[in-house]
This record gives sequence, structure tokens and C-alpha cells, in this order.
Amino acid sequence: MSDSATVRVQRTMPGFGALLWSSVFKSSGLHRIGAMLLMLSILALSAGIFLNFDGTAGPSLMEINIPWIDSLGINFHLAVDGLNVYLLLLTAILFPVVLACSWSAAPSRSRIFLALMLLLELGLIGTFLSQNLMLFFIFWEAVLIPMFIMILVYGGERAREAAMTFFLYTLAGSVLLLAAVILLGVESLHQTGQWSFEFSTLYGLQLGWGTQLFVFIAVVLACAIKCPIFPFHSWLPLAYCEAPFAGTALMAGALSKMGAFGLLKLALPLAPQVSAVMAPAMVLLAVVSILYGAVLALRQDDFKRLVAYSSLSHMGYIVLGIFSFQQTALHGSLFQMLSHGLSVAGLFLMLGLLEQRVGASYRNLTALAGQAPRLAVVLMLFILTSVALPLTSGFTSEFLILFGAFQHGMATWQAGSGTLPLIATVIACSGMVLGAGYMLRFARVILFGKGSGLGIHDLKPREAVAFLPLLLLIVWVGVWPAPIMAKAQAAVTQLTAQVTDFKHPIPLLASPLKVEEKVEENVMNNGGANGR
Amino acid sequence: MAADLFYALLPEHILLALILVLMTLEILGADRKLANCVFTISVAVGCCVLLVQLGQGHTATVVPGEIIVDRFALLARLTILGCGLVLGLCSLTTSGTFKFWMLLSSSLLGGMLIMESAGFISMFIGIEMLSLPAFALMVHGCGASSASEGAFKYLLMSSVASALILFGLSLGYGATGNLSVADFAAALQAGGAHITTAGIIILSGFFLKAAVFPFHGWAPDAYSSARLPVTAFLASIIKGAVVLGLVRILGTLTLNSETVAVVAVLSVLSIFYGNITAIRQVAFKRMLAYSSIAHAGYMVFALTDNTGGTVEALLYYVAVYAVTTIVACTSFSLLVNGEKDDLEPLDGAFHSRPLPATLLALSVLSLAGIPPLPGFLAKFFIFKSVIASGYLVPALLAFSGSYIGVVFYLRIVFRLFKPAPLPLSAQTSPRSGWTLGGVLLGAMLLTLFTLVPGVFH
Repeated sequence: MSDSATVRVQRTMPGFGALLWSSVFKSSGLHRIGAMLLMLSILALSAGIFLNFDGTAGPSLMEINIPWIDSLGINFHLAVDGLNVYLLLLTAILFPVVLACSWSAAPSRSRIFLALMLLLELGLIGTFLSQNLMLFFIFWEAVLIPMFIMILVYGGERAREAAMTFFLYTLAGSVLLLAAVILLGVESLHQTGQWSFEFSTLYGLQLGWGTQLFVFIAVVLACAIKCPIFPFHSWLPLAYCEAPFAGTALMAGALSKMGAFGLLKLALPLAPQVSAVMAPAMVLLAVVSILYGAVLALRQDDFKRLVAYSSLSHMGYIVLGIFSFQQTALHGSLFQMLSHGLSVAGLFLMLGLLEQRVGASYRNLTALAGQAPRLAVVLMLFILTSVALPLTSGFTSEFLILFGAFQHGMATWQAGSGTLPLIATVIACSGMVLGAGYMLRFARVILFGKGSGLGIHDLKPREAVAFLPLLLLIVWVGVWPAPIMAKAQAAVTQLTAQVTDFKHPIPLLASPLKVEEKVEENVMNNGGANGR
Repeated sequence: MAADLFYALLPEHILLALILVLMTLEILGADRKLANCVFTISVAVGCCVLLVQLGQGHTATVVPGEIIVDRFALLARLTILGCGLVLGLCSLTTSGTFKFWMLLSSSLLGGMLIMESAGFISMFIGIEMLSLPAFALMVHGCGASSASEGAFKYLLMSSVASALILFGLSLGYGATGNLSVADFAAALQAGGAHITTAGIIILSGFFLKAAVFPFHGWAPDAYSSARLPVTAFLASIIKGAVVLGLVRILGTLTLNSETVAVVAVLSVLSIFYGNITAIRQVAFKRMLAYSSIAHAGYMVFALTDNTGGTVEALLYYVAVYAVTTIVACTSFSLLVNGEKDDLEPLDGAFHSRPLPATLLALSVLSLAGIPPLPGFLAKFFIFKSVIASGYLVPALLAFSGSYIGVVFYLRIVFRLFKPAPLPLSAQTSPRSGWTLGGVLLGAMLLTLFTLVPGVFH
């Protein structure tokens, strides 16, 4: 009971806060502190939920379910489950950190900016927690408006163009998604006799091939644009570079995870057969994203663009992990969402702080290590996470993904259904090398160059404290992932079961149960080994 | 019987009394403020009466075969009257004159008559009572010759529509032998060349009044030449009443496949045409006109539904659309401070006038159908019943059409949030209090629609 109350409070607080802060308080200092307190309390609640969540319970614990449109089966149904518990924590951590970093920047003095941030948090948490497809869609879309206005009002020179591109691109994906959502509701009407958009009902439907294909295409299109992955990424550099740095950090850290989460939550369980058949194509897209992002990042001189393209590359790993259908890889993908969210947000915040200090000439910064040691250490840690150095979260997640993908590739090869997944995995591994290449080049240029420097101020204590939670979590996941992994275990098992239940038309997935058990052992061993 | 005549038609009696009182007051040369007051109070009382009747589940056959009061009649009249109240409050300070209120009330009366008619005679009278005052409203208080031109175009087109409806009615009379709406609908369902022709002609008449695609020619000129509150009135209440009138005839009917095909094609064309043409517009009212053509397309689209959800979906859509349009128009007029029609004054308006600017942004986004705003739910209700009826491809087309529409709605939001160009000129006109009140009432209604989307179920 108290847990359900917790979720309820958490869910409603940002909304009320947004209203309150945009209307009531006039003085600029007070509402900034108030917004911070609100975000911190949400973080406290989420952290409590995260620590208490033991992973064994299905989405029955810690939920609220209020009927909204009863006759259509649309309920205000939110719950914590194994899939969204990381993302809940990630979102809850990112917001206060971002606000703390942009504390003295001009936008955070304005009420609108704070209201937008709170609305954004509301939409994100709503998307991750919703257990009703329609509610999911509404939150998914509702995130667009505050982000759009944030880019538009507080963005750089080409903010208008960036905001328009961002909005129209992401909305384009959602048009088909809405059709798919309604189609699923109609299927539920035909099969169970009443409208329902509850995930639990929809997962139980027997969908025909055509419907599954339509749903899969719609979901993948929407998610691929949101992530983004390869052919749908052209909004990314513009939006990431033109948004205010707080907005960029949130977009790259939390918004892009909505896409990956959508693939996990919708594509796999709702269209299992089509997912299995289309998996090679998705793996191909993922690998192309990994390489393409890495190659583009290698060629960038602007640090922001570099990080933006590296983000494209890292999102590719997540998709690769999801479409390998191995428990290991799914765990890896979940970790990668968390890890990439933390590291990319950290990198963008760092760049933002630098830009705030020296303006547009941050592009020419060099030799920071000597002038601003604290800043350099923190930046280096984020870079190393991005490179996937062992003992950081980046390593845990990319290792698990590649390991799972490799297993999948081997299984496919042994089953005689082609070597494509295997080759793709091998190529994806080279992405890690490229990643090390561009990231370390970035580090060398900005930290250890030969220039005289511009007299950069080091991190202030406030900023240093703000980065602390990100770094702690990165190290925690890197050093001892097993307890965190256990939280998602039940959900991951359920997800793989949902996909592999439909093995009859596809020999690809006919992995015997034994292999799965072994995988599980491996997962646990790996977690332990990593800890040493 | 007499009690029914009094109680069931109480809102109409109140409106009639209102018109008479206003006339008398004008002759006596009373203060304008009194007229405002009388209008607001009577319409509010009318709404309350309808709410009470709705609570009681009151139904009555007032004039057998001509006027019946059922649940649909109550809900639809409440929608019309409620929109009238919001519109009245919004234009209280800018255009509240005796003649304006009289014309508005008689138009509302006509709209309400449509909703409770069971026979075509009362429905026809209602339609005429709805549109005739609108011509006068368009010319009233507006010296420009373009206003008369727009009003004249509307008058001509509207008469053609009336003629079409009358012609269709006489054909229908030939087929069924009476003028009852229910008999007509039953005969239409049964089919036959005679009655189908009648149905198509009547449908064309209604489409002409509602400005659906090939019959839309009059709308842009008429909308752009009228004053802003009148434009809002044309786009919201008149269009809504016409569409609800169509629901009154066809609401519970399953159309045959040929008619469905025609309706689907016209509505999809209407959606595309309206949304694409609106992109090119630089004036607010013209943009609104084209967007309203697209919205007429969505509304008509709901008629293809064969799962029996048409009535609820359209009531919700009309209510949301009408209130949103009124709120958008009024916030726009608050921002531009008067009768300007171009979009330039909106630049950076958010920084000087945050409240109206936010409301305008939200209402245009709602018109565009962005979740979680009520406009999205309204579209969702229509699309879900259309898809449930098995028309996935037209629905997808309509989706893409509405995606195109987002472009021009976003342009308004763009302008609102531009960096502030001029120093803050907090020139809140001293008399805008009531207008703001009306807008806020509309916003409250929209919030209610969002929170309780099942109000019409």
C-alpha cells in the first residue's frame, strides 16, 4: 500500500510542481531552489523504489491503476517492473544533476525553463512506468512539447530549424505508431470482446502475421527515429548542437532511451514472430549505426558533434543487444541504456560547462589537465566510460551485449541459418576500437594538448558534487553489477520467453533450454568475475 | 403534455424570452452592460437547466413526429449552448451590443432546434435559423465592403445548400411518404435508387454547409472577412451544429459501402486539402478557415464508422473542436489587441503576455492533435472507430494528412516563442478582464474534457 502511494506521489509531483512553479512564484531564487528540492525528492523516492525492488515481483507491486476511459480500456496504469526500474533511476538522477550544472546559466533563472524541465521529467517517468499502451503513447508524445519549446526558446542560433526538425521527425514516427496502437486495441476488441490497451492483455493476444508486421514496422520506425539509429538520425546533430546544454544532456541521456525502451516494451513482445524474422535486418541497421556513428565521430572537430555521433554509435549497441534475443545481451542492453545515459549526459554537461565558461571558443580548448585538474578528471572518467574501460559501466554493458550477440551468432551458424549475425557481431566489435580511437583523440586534444590555455576555472564545488552521483553509479555498475542485474532478471527471462515461445516458424531461435541455462550461469559468473 | 412543452423546451423558451427582452431593452435605450449581463445569465441558466435534465435523464416527445427530447438532444444542445456561453463571455467586452446578442441568441436557438428535431420540417427551420442570423452577424458592426462580399458569398452558398436539402427532402418524401427522420434513415438503410439519390443530395447540402472539400469554396472568404468573434462563431458553433445535425439523421445508421467510400474519399481529400493549403496562409483567419475545412473532414470521417460509436465520438469532437477554436481565436485577439489579421504581432508574444500566449499555443497544438491535449483524444475516438470498422488505409491517409497539418500549427507556436523583439509593452487593454475570463472558462472546459473523456458516453 505504501509503495503504491509512493509511486503515486512521485508521479504527480512533477506535474503539480510545473504548475506551481510556472504560476505562483515570482522571485527567481526561490523557484529554482524549489524545483531542485522537488527533483531531489523524486530522486529519493525513485532510489527507494530502486533499492527495494527485488525483481521477483511482476508488475503487480508498486502500481497505481486508475480508470480513465473505462469503455475503451484506457487506464492510468503505472507500475515499476524489471524493464523500467533502471530507466526510472536514470531519469530521476539526471534531472537534478542537469539542473545543478546549469544552476547559474541564464535559462534556469526563468520559471518557464524549470516548468519545462519538470514537464519533461513527468513525461519521461510516465512513458517508462506506464503499463497501458495508450497511456504510453500519450506520454511518449507529450515529451515532445516541452523539449520543442526548450530548444526553441533557449537554443542556439539555428534553434528554430533544430526545433522544427526535431519535432517533425519524431512526430513522423508516431503517426504510424498511433495507427498500430489503435489496431492493437481493435484486435483486443475482436478477440476478447472489449477494448483494452493494457499491456498484460495485449501480450496475450494471438496476432496474425500481417498485424504483427504492421505493428513491428510502426514501432521500429517510431523507436528508430527516437533513438536514433542509422537511416533516421539526420535530426540528431542539429538538435544536439543547437539545444541548450541542459536540453542536450536530457535528450541524449534520457529521451533517446525512450526509443530503445519502446523496442523492448513493444516490438519484441507484441510482434515476436516478425521480430525474430526481422532480427537480421535490425542487427544490420544496428551494426551500420555503430560503425557509421564511429566513423563520423572520428571526423568531427566540434566536440559536441563528436559526442552526438558517438551517441549514435552507442545506441546501435543497444539495438544489437535487443535483437540478439539472448538474456545476456538483453541485460547488456538494459545496462547500456543506463550507462550511456549517464556517460553521454555527463559529457554533454561537461561541454556545456566549458562553453558557459569560454563561449563558442570552447572548440579550441586544450590542455585542460594542467589548468583545471578536477574538471579534467571528471571529464576523463566520462570519456573512459564511453570507451568501455573495464570497471566502468560501459564495459559491463558492451561486454554483455557483444557476448550475447556472439552466442546468438554462433547458435545461428550452428543451426545452419547463415553467418550474418556472427559476422555482424565481429564487425560490431571493431566499433569498440573505433570508439576508443575517437574518444581518446578527443581526450588528448582537450586534456593534454600543448596550447597555453585560456585560463579556465576549475569545477566549482557545486558542480563537482553534481557529477558525483553519475560517477558513483557508473562505478557501481562497472564493479559489481550482479545485484542490479538481479532486479531485471525476472523481466528479462519473461521477455526472452515471450519471444522464443514462437519458435515453430523460425529455426533461428530454436535454442534449446539448456543453452539458456548456461547463459544464465555465464551471466552470473561474469558479474562475479567483473567484480574482482 | 403542457408540462413537457414547458419543461423539456425550457432552454429554448429562455432564449426566446432573452431575444424579446433584448429587443425591449434596446427600444428603451438601456445600458449595454445590462444586455451583456442578461445574455450571460440567461445562457448560463439555459445550460444549468440542460444539466439538470441530463441528470434526471429527462426524455419527452414534445411534438410527435417533429420534436423529441432524448439523450442526444440534451447533450448536443448542451454543447451548442455551452459553446455559446464561452463565446459570449469571450466577446463580452469587444462586441457586446444588443443586435449582436439578439443575432447570436437566435442562431443558438436554431442550432438547438436542429438537435431535437425528429422531422425534417423542424430540422430545416432550425438550419435556416442557424445560418440566417450568421449573415447579419458577419456584416454587423463591420464597415468594410469585404465583409459584405464574404457574407454575400456565404449567403449564396448557404441558399444553394438549403435548396439542395429541400430538393433531397422532397425526393425522400416521394420515397417514404412522410417527413420523419427515422423513416428516412430506415429507408436509406434499406436502399433503393430513389432514396439513395435523396440521401446523396441531402448529404451534399450538409457538406456544403460544413465546408467539406469540394464544397468548401465559400469558407476562406467568409471567415476572413468577418470580425474575429464572428469567425470563431462560424468555425465553431455553426459548423458543429451542422455536423451534429447530420449525426441526428445518420448517427445510428450503418451506411452502405458506396456511401462509405464516397464519404471516406471526401473526408480524406478534405483533410489533405485543408491542411496543405493552410500551410501557405499568412493571415490567421484564412488559416483558421482552411484548418476548419480539414476538421470538417475529420468529423465527416466519423460517419464511416459502423461499430456504433459515431454519436459519442462526434459529440466529443465537436465540443472539443468548438471550444478550442473559440479559445484560440480569443487568445489571438487578446494578443494582437484588436482586429489585425496577420501573424506578425505574435512574434515573441510569449515574453510580454505569457497567459494568452500559452493558451493560444496549447489550443493550436490541441487542434493539431498532439497528445495529451483534448484534440488528440477527439481524433483518437474517431480514428479508433474508423479502424475498428476495418478502414485502415483511409485512416492511415488521414493520419498523414493530420501530420501535414502540424506544420502550420507549429508555425504559430514558433512565432509565440521567438526571442522578444520589442521592449515589454504590457498594454493589457483595461477591458479585457471578461475576455480573459471567457478564455479561462473555455480552458477549464477543455481540461475537463481531457480528464473525463467519457462525458458523452
